[in-house]
Amino acid sequence: MSYSRDVYIVAQWEFGRFFKWKDQAISLALFLLVSGVWAGAALVAGASGRTVTIALAGIELQAPTGGRFQFVPAAPADRQGTDALRRGDVQGVLSRRADGVFELLVTKDPRYRTELGVVIEEVVRRERLESSGVLPQTLQRILAPVAFDVRFTDPARERQGRAEKIAAGVCIGVMLLAVFISLANLLTGITGEKQLRVTESVVSAISPQAWIDGKVCGITATALVSVANLVVGMAIIAVTAQFASGFSWPAAALRPGVVLTLVVYTVLGLLLWNSFFAAVAATVSDVYTSSRSSLLFLPLVPVVLSTAVLRDPDALVARILALFPLTSSPALPMRLVLSDPGLVEVGCSLALLLGAVWVMRRMAGRIFELGILLYGKEPTLLEMIRWATERRDR
Amino acid sequence: MDAAFLRAHGVSKRFSGHVAAERLSFEVRRGEVFALLGPNGAGKTTTVRMLVGIIRPDEGHIDVPGDGPARGRLEPDRTGYLPEDRGLYQELPILRSLVYFGRLRGLDGREAGTRACEWLEKMGLLDRKHDRLDALSKGNQQRVQFIAAVLHRPALAILDEPFSGLDPLSQEFFLDLVRDLRNAGTTILLSSHQMDLVERVADRVLLLNHGREILSGSVADLHGRLDARPRLRVTLEHVADADVLRADADVEHIAGDGPDLRVTLRAGARTPQFLARLVTRVPMTAIGTDAPRLHDVFVRAVRDDEARIAGRMS
Repeated sequence: MSYSRDVYIVAQWEFGRFFKWKDQAISLALFLLVSGVWAGAALVAGASGRTVTIALAGIELQAPTGGRFQFVPAAPADRQGTDALRRGDVQGVLSRRADGVFELLVTKDPRYRTELGVVIEEVVRRERLESSGVLPQTLQRILAPVAFDVRFTDPARERQGRAEKIAAGVCIGVMLLAVFISLANLLTGITGEKQLRVTESVVSAISPQAWIDGKVCGITATALVSVANLVVGMAIIAVTAQFASGFSWPAAALRPGVVLTLVVYTVLGLLLWNSFFAAVAATVSDVYTSSRSSLLFLPLVPVVLSTAVLRDPDALVARILALFPLTSSPALPMRLVLSDPGLVEVGCSLALLLGAVWVMRRMAGRIFELGILLYGKEPTLLEMIRWATERRDR
Repeated sequence: MDAAFLRAHGVSKRFSGHVAAERLSFEVRRGEVFALLGPNGAGKTTTVRMLVGIIRPDEGHIDVPGDGPARGRLEPDRTGYLPEDRGLYQELPILRSLVYFGRLRGLDGREAGTRACEWLEKMGLLDRKHDRLDALSKGNQQRVQFIAAVLHRPALAILDEPFSGLDPLSQEFFLDLVRDLRNAGTTILLSSHQMDLVERVADRVLLLNHGREILSGSVADLHGRLDARPRLRVTLEHVADADVLRADADVEHIAGDGPDLRVTLRAGARTPQFLARLVTRVPMTAIGTDAPRLHDVFVRAVRDDEARIAGRMS
């Protein structure tokens, strides 16, 4: 039997074992439900166009035209406006204390507090201008923002910049999320197989290397499809947000080469971490008592280190991070969208990352071969390194 | 064609200084049932794992005579393995697991499914094919594990402790399965410490202690090699007649209290003459031969070996 056939069978099995179509469908349905409720609520709110009526007690204010506020003077018989408030004729009573502070009397939390603050501020500014003798037009000219424009040599880059930064952020987020989903599946899957003593049956049929490669491929695919489902769900929410609250998408002008590089780095980064964690999981006998749980947050380290690229994408440290295989999966995408690393750097980084994935899977295979048949005491780090590096002929 | 399916040449394995197998050499012949016997910790499972390729011998090698590409190693699709530590996916449907293991051993999915259903029907479990494995009793789980080991119709089935943990009825069932496999042409290597069961199916045995071979040969050879003295079981009508037996010149040893006795005759004693004499002198309700069982061979050989080791140590 061929190695590739064994890997395919194991990958298919692991995918079927961990990918729950029903759960994914439910998750997507929940996103749709939330979006539907949100959009429905926005429609209802828009249709009712609810106006907020505020009683003015002892002050005069002019509500801006077209706004949601309606200011009415308190009735002479109810100078404090409290009767109207109790009856529900108004939502609040606005007054001004002797120290100049505006005070809103309400019966429940005013959700419109910020908007009302803007209106009051506008009115007070106008009052102050009038008393200082400065004309509004003069003030407007003084406070007008200084024009500052950025022009790219390639005009297309202007539109691409923001969209690609978002895409790079999404890819790094996808990779991290997929690493954590995979990690959970690898740990529970492999330690479960050790505890259920499935390991001997499998390694008598196929090589441990084919088994770990199949596992890593299957669980990586599971995580990517799960995250893709989540991204689709988020996209549904984003579309709803556009409809319900006016959120606008950046112009999506992504360069195909950049998209391809981002996807390749996401997948390779995920394969690298999954190979590493498969080897770690093979040395764990009980996931609840293992000291290896401290390694769970290791994938965050390269992401945190890669923030150096954000500060200065062309610094030497950023270039090194983009080449070093353990950090290149987040660092190179960042450099790619913030700077222009060039084909040679991308090629070298990609070659190093591919090499690292190959070496990691080979080392993981060796650790896996010995670790999966080891019960009880977990091997030390030194033992794991020795297993990973010693030559053996199977 | 070579009569041997596989040969072990001086294979040894040590774990942290402890010898699990020491220079073992043996062959498993085509179509036979070959048994590895020994007490717990004798090195049976280590030897089996080396044969299957799960662990490598520190010394020696395992040779698989044959022709074509299979020469020199046990091909997974020609070998079935029932591990001592039983293990299938407990939380998954039985049929799905069986198809997976069948595919790992070279079958395509459809064929694996068809064969798994045939075996499940034979085991009386077809109506439970979509159940989780952990919904079955231990005996039935063992049946499913057995199916996983032989689903692909291997030429060699390696069964590590196939009878352990089974009730007597299930043990009989598994003995029949082993016989059926052999009758179908499968070569079988089994390891066990349950001698009474092994001697009913094995053609040849290899007895291990502390990782070393202490006896090997056919079951009949071993019986004869260890103790050629005739033995009888008798049930006396009167307990006091035991003294008459003890006084007989052919009797070497009598074991047991009360009316049920096990009588060992001296080497060279002729059983028919002894019986003819006995019948006329002692009233009995039952009499029969008490051939040495493999169990006795096993216990005696291991005790002798332990005594030799103790002698060397002192």
